[in-house]
Amino acid sequence: MDTAMHPDPQDSLIEDLKRGDSPAYKKAVREYSPGMLAVARFYLDPSSAEEIVQDCWVTVIDAIQKFEGRSGLKTWLHRIVANRCKNKLRSSNREVATDFSESLDPELADRFNAKGRWDLPPKLKFHESADTLMEKDALSDCLDKHLSVLPETQRSALMLYEAHQHKSEDVCNILDVSASNLRVLLHRARQKIFLMVETFQETGEC
Amino acid sequence: MLMCRDLAGIASDYIDGELTGRQNVSVKMHLMMCKDCRTFIGNLRASTNLMKAHSSGKPDEELMRRIDERVTEALLAWKENNGGE
Repeated sequence: MDTAMHPDPQDSLIEDLKRGDSPAYKKAVREYSPGMLAVARFYLDPSSAEEIVQDCWVTVIDAIQKFEGRSGLKTWLHRIVANRCKNKLRSSNREVATDFSESLDPELADRFNAKGRWDLPPKLKFHESADTLMEKDALSDCLDKHLSVLPETQRSALMLYEAHQHKSEDVCNILDVSASNLRVLLHRARQKIFLMVETFQETGEC
Repeated sequence: MLMCRDLAGIASDYIDGELTGRQNVSVKMHLMMCKDCRTFIGNLRASTNLMKAHSSGKPDEELMRRIDERVTEALLAWKENNGGE
């Protein structure tokens, strides 16, 4: 397809950002900051993470002049945040502590007997589609609540992979984890969400 | 033989198509025989889709405002340094 006839809306946003267009920055800040914050929260405490995201936007003004579009804008921004966070951790001699040893959530693991068969199998089928489920504000609020108590590392992996739809390779790169450790983070986080939806469907409560 | 507990441990890899051919076959065979695991995989998949449909976090308006302020300030300085508009 002729791209000249169908310009990518992201290309024009990038051009506007390069020109220093203020409304373009407002738009980009709203679109990309939640993901940037998810990256920063993987590495840092909430208030340092917010600070880093603010600082990153200021550096973007100069840095975007050299942006050549080899990766998408989202991935580029997420990498800037990740690099800054890694530098900050390095300078304070700290590292991200995560347990990658067990892929099964303890609460779920308790539902199997000694032979490895289900003792407490899932009772109900989640019968509604994701879209219908999400129309229920109560479930959406409940999801937010459970996301907020996930370990930061699991939440960031889940957000980047599912909600921001990064490829595994990009998530590994941004979060500096191996492919197998990313699998553990994702699976642990998804089991928590599964357990939450199950309780919600059975009891109507969060 | 693959047990329900083993399957639960690799369920996300199955959903995302990240298993080896051999593992994939043993999961499929187990699922043919085990209704509970079929329900579990279906529900885990539904939970995963739910996350995809969930907005990627509502922007915190207070934070957005602070970022806007800093960006506006930095843009002014940048324009001055670059000949202004």
